[in-house]
Amino acid sequence: MATVNDEFTREAAPAKSLRTAVLLVFLLYFATPALWVLFAITKNPSQIFTTFGLWFAQPFHFFENVSELFSYQGGIYARWFGNSIIYAATISAVSTMICAAGAYAFAKYDFWGRKALFSFILGTIMVPNTALVLPLFLLMNKLGLIDTYWGVILPGLVNPFGLYLMRVFWDSGFPTDLLEAARLDGASELRIFWSVGLPLMPTGLVTVALLSFVGAWNNFFLPLIVLNRDSLFPLTLGMNVWNSIIHSGGGKPIYNLIALGSLISVLPLLVAFIFLGRYWQGGITGGATKG
Amino acid sequence: MKIHHFLCAAIAASIPSLVCAQSNSSQPDYTKFAVEPGAQLEVWSWVVGLDSVAKDFEKEFPNIKVKVDNIGGGPTEYQKLQTAIKAGSGAPDVAQIEYDFLPSFIVTDGLADLTPFGAEQAKSYFVGWTWGQVSPDGKIVYGIPQDIGPLALMYNKKTFDKYQIAVPKTWDEFAAQAEKLSKASQGKVKIVNFFADYAPWFIGLAWAADGKFFETSDDTWSQELNNPIAEKVLTYWNDLVKKGYATTYKGFTPELYNAFANGEIAASVEAAWGPGVMAASLKERTAGDWRVAPLPQWKAGEAKSGNWGGSAFVVTKQSKFPRAATLFNIWLNTHRSAVLNNWYNTGIFPASIQGLADPELHMPDKDPSKFCGGQNVVQVYADAAKGVNVDFAWSPWFAFVNDNYNKQMSEMVAGKFTPRQALDAWQADSLKNAKDQGFEVKSQ
Amino acid sequence: MKKQSKIAYAFLAPFLILFVAFYLSPIVYAAYLSLFTKKRIGLRAAQDVFSGVTNYIRGFQDVNFLTSLKNILIFGIFQIPTMLIAALILALLLDQSRGLLMRVCRTIYFIPYTIPIAIGGLVWGCLYARDLSPVNQLLSTLNLARIDFLSPSLILFSIANITFWTWTGYNMITLFAALKNIPDELSEAARVDGAKRWDIVWRIKLPLLMPTFQLLFLFSIIGTSQIFAEAWVLRPIEYVADNITPNVYIYLTAARDTNYSYAAALAILLAAVVFAISSFLLRKLQPH
Repeated sequence: MATVNDEFTREAAPAKSLRTAVLLVFLLYFATPALWVLFAITKNPSQIFTTFGLWFAQPFHFFENVSELFSYQGGIYARWFGNSIIYAATISAVSTMICAAGAYAFAKYDFWGRKALFSFILGTIMVPNTALVLPLFLLMNKLGLIDTYWGVILPGLVNPFGLYLMRVFWDSGFPTDLLEAARLDGASELRIFWSVGLPLMPTGLVTVALLSFVGAWNNFFLPLIVLNRDSLFPLTLGMNVWNSIIHSGGGKPIYNLIALGSLISVLPLLVAFIFLGRYWQGGITGGATKG
Repeated sequence: MKIHHFLCAAIAASIPSLVCAQSNSSQPDYTKFAVEPGAQLEVWSWVVGLDSVAKDFEKEFPNIKVKVDNIGGGPTEYQKLQTAIKAGSGAPDVAQIEYDFLPSFIVTDGLADLTPFGAEQAKSYFVGWTWGQVSPDGKIVYGIPQDIGPLALMYNKKTFDKYQIAVPKTWDEFAAQAEKLSKASQGKVKIVNFFADYAPWFIGLAWAADGKFFETSDDTWSQELNNPIAEKVLTYWNDLVKKGYATTYKGFTPELYNAFANGEIAASVEAAWGPGVMAASLKERTAGDWRVAPLPQWKAGEAKSGNWGGSAFVVTKQSKFPRAATLFNIWLNTHRSAVLNNWYNTGIFPASIQGLADPELHMPDKDPSKFCGGQNVVQVYADAAKGVNVDFAWSPWFAFVNDNYNKQMSEMVAGKFTPRQALDAWQADSLKNAKDQGFEVKSQ
Repeated sequence: MKKQSKIAYAFLAPFLILFVAFYLSPIVYAAYLSLFTKKRIGLRAAQDVFSGVTNYIRGFQDVNFLTSLKNILIFGIFQIPTMLIAALILALLLDQSRGLLMRVCRTIYFIPYTIPIAIGGLVWGCLYARDLSPVNQLLSTLNLARIDFLSPSLILFSIANITFWTWTGYNMITLFAALKNIPDELSEAARVDGAKRWDIVWRIKLPLLMPTFQLLFLFSIIGTSQIFAEAWVLRPIEYVADNITPNVYIYLTAARDTNYSYAAALAILLAAVVFAISSFLLRKLQPH
């Protein structure tokens, strides 16, 4: 049987090299900042200024940079890293479950206000969060959550996009007849959700969890408002504070530390995607192609 | 009396933490300040090393605990402080606020009046005009001054000698030397940097020429950013930029310091904390080559200067321990060890009279003197401080004025605005913003 | 499905409680704030005065705000199609590829999305900075004039580049996965009928990608309207106008000028504009 593979053997050589060329150009483009970082982490600040950014310089300072990164300002970097893990892991795990439950309601039940509520929730995504500086601060203040982990975690649990995604997954991954069958068997609604429905959702859950993890890991604005004490900062905030210190009076030009710190801060996400990649590859589009 | 004073001073000099209970001693009598029991203070400040100075304070006053948080420099801290004051909670006990931003906090009604807590006892220890900054109406005291930044001219002697540039005493001479330097170095070496992104620097220069930007009378304000003196000063600097005699690097960036280090820029109008910051940023590069001279004058023979920077330490109304906070602020800025530590850590040029006269500040083998070839730079700046006009006020919407300056300057430097247009736009935008914020302002 | 409101709301409860508490109430409060303006006398504290829609009227006339909207519009018109088309092309190219190149490209294209915008923007800031940029370093050695990527004439482009770099991979992966979802039989049938490779792409794959494409388009519009971090992290490096994007302007109005009410009104105006534009565009893109 002729397969798609035959297409490849018949592909004209010029077309193939053109395709390869385009892919390589974009590869270089997307990799350039990472390359700069990779070179910068082997240099000390004055080398970063005086040597070409996209190549090495002698002498190597990589190991010095590593030790300086973890000792600078009393080793606060490790603290920031730990904080990011706490925020992202907690938010990701908890919000995924909350979205799964909420989306289940939208997908599998008919209830009063169903359509309107769903549209409304999604609609709020359009409101820019920067105007919420004072309202959020006031709210967190009233609840005594300023400068606390919960102050960053609780608002972070709200994930309208995650709700939307989970609904798509429920719609396509949990056929209603299965649901009906379980009901006939006498299982309670909660039991159905937990023991029948959820196990069918690994792709969906991992997708939402990963996206939520990324979102929480990259969160910048909310911590900026809620946190004063730098011992609670996530990496995004910490790195930016270092960046603004460089550009204010008397600051050390710690570009090398920022480069290294940024690189390390990205590793957990990379690891997560590489290992869980296969679960979520098709994830986003789960029901999207159905429109 | 005289001998006693001398002995006191001698003893005080050798044992820094000893306090002489004399009315004209070098430090206020801290024991005269009653404090709340079990006080715990939260301090927001970006002064480097303040946490260790705070530890010294705790040793001397074991009943008071102090925690220092660096929320971020200047604007970052101000934004948080504003929000916290507006919200009614979340503000620290003590905060560092630069003089130019102090009015914008006074109008929030969030700063405590320090007079009931003994602030008046500290007044005589500070340079006169700084007290005017923390007490604009002369009655309520909103903070304790920490440092000042009178302006002078820092120059690289090696570069000057190399191209036979004379140290200019007037701005006319400065312009002439600028041209000479440019020709002699074929345009490679510029005489100075124009800070197109630091309004207080420019305002300081206009201040030195007797320019006035803000005034308040009764309940109204007036603002004239485009006053004739500002125009004169800005036109002068724009000429330097246009002719290629001045660079336009952003302040406090590695790029700027690089330019100083590799000889691209020969001099800089720097505040009193400037040499210290330069020394810390450049380290060994060009160390020992620099000197400080008085600011060039518009009229020969004058000795005027302006001020760039300087902060006060305030106490917020939300503080549960205002007495302890006031004591901390006063101690921090009058106690010899604290003043010296701030000087060593960050080159903070003290507002305290005793601090300015302290021999420790004149150590020729320590930075910044060392960076300036052993010159007694503090003396030059102390003299400059005397030439600062005491009559200078800032406005509560200065945050916007500060930011907007950058916008207009970037247009001017790019050649799109003339100095007149830049100043007019600055005036118009700022006026509108002030009105939008609810102030009654008029242009003069 | 029979109406089962009680059990449905039970499942929804955790989400709704958090949503109302931490998402909705700040928005409602901001809307309430937007109806007040400040009155000040001399050196005393500001009074908040109820003023109805004064802030909104002021917003409509605010040249700075309108300029920021214009910036976003220009940004959107150029950046969004460029990004989505690039994502589409790359997805199609990858779909046709095999082997190591494909896998490496897929990973490298996607990685920028995983990098926090605050950090990615920071690194790009270093690549843009006058003295740090490798581009400028090269130009210097060739004795050519350096490019100021952060100058007012180039700044929008530079920010757009950061956004493009960050999001193209994400959009590409989504389209790529959607392509993989298209059953092979469809392409097969067409090929057997004599269709060329290009026709298969144009007639079969693209139409089936439309729903995904629409979704990404909508998210891009919303994302673009809220650009903040990319511009914000560039500010310490070199002067960036305070109204470069609406969100930066709104933030500074709130945080720097403490004009919270006005900022709230502007935010709501922005949301309204985005809503209007996206509804309009989505209707136009509805499948026939």
